[in-house]
Amino acid sequence: MSESIFDSIKEGDEYTIEHSNFSRTDFVKYAGASGDFNPIHHDETFAKMSGNETVFGQGMLTAGMLSVVPSKWFGATSVKKFGVRFKTRLWPGDNVVFKGVVSKVYTDKDLVHVDLDLTAVNQKDEVLISGFATCRPWAP
Amino acid sequence: MFGPPVAVISPAGLPVERGKIHEFACSVYDDDPLYHDLDAAKAAGLPSVVAPVTFTSTQALFSDPMAEMSALGDLELNLMFILHGGQEYEFERPIFAGEVLTPHAGEIKVYTKKGRRGGLMKFVEIDSHFTDEKGEIVLRLKNTLIQTQGVVEK
Repeated sequence: MSESIFDSIKEGDEYTIEHSNFSRTDFVKYAGASGDFNPIHHDETFAKMSGNETVFGQGMLTAGMLSVVPSKWFGATSVKKFGVRFKTRLWPGDNVVFKGVVSKVYTDKDLVHVDLDLTAVNQKDEVLISGFATCRPWAP
Repeated sequence: MFGPPVAVISPAGLPVERGKIHEFACSVYDDDPLYHDLDAAKAAGLPSVVAPVTFTSTQALFSDPMAEMSALGDLELNLMFILHGGQEYEFERPIFAGEVLTPHAGEIKVYTKKGRRGGLMKFVEIDSHFTDEKGEIVLRLKNTLIQTQGVVEK
């Protein structure tokens, strides 16, 4: 491989992606894309009947957007592991910062591996999800 | 779990399609050309566009939600009080458009833990994996469901 992000990466390095003003349309787009048609994510009447103020985003939408941090940072073919824990919900209007921090850089089977701690945090400083990823170069 | 497909693909397989990858990557706001642009993927030496990390969620479009619900019922879970606690992926290699993946059910672990507010929470860890057309494992998943004793106030 020629020059790559893996050559210069070090512990503590950070990468963030911000998304402002999540909309109901975002939830509907993800419903169609993923097949998660739980009405609690798009049907205001149903969401209110279930005791919610309004509809809220699919956890897997937040997770999918958090997975963009490792894939954009290290490349779409480089993500070896990715995992999330769901903490609290994503509401319309939320501004979310998706962040990755390098926790460890090491070599395994002659390949540089990078472990990341991941978080998605809203405008109230609440963690929507926390997660981890491991990236390594992959060549066809 | 909702929105039953009009027809279920049998045997259950997950076709990895270019158009679906484009739609899915758009829905998570990922503009990497390797998900959208076949020429860019080929120029990078790849067989086709890459499936995003969480792409296998689209399996919901091809599987029978009633079967999934009844499987949860078999684990004596109360669907009213179930939360998606976590989701993990481990890739052997990237997944590309044009493949058909086959899902396989794995081990299921059930355990209870005391919650922060004192209630008992039941954890269900469901392992699964996908194989490619050669029968090789390409992706392992762990899905964690949490059943609380009542409605969760968050």
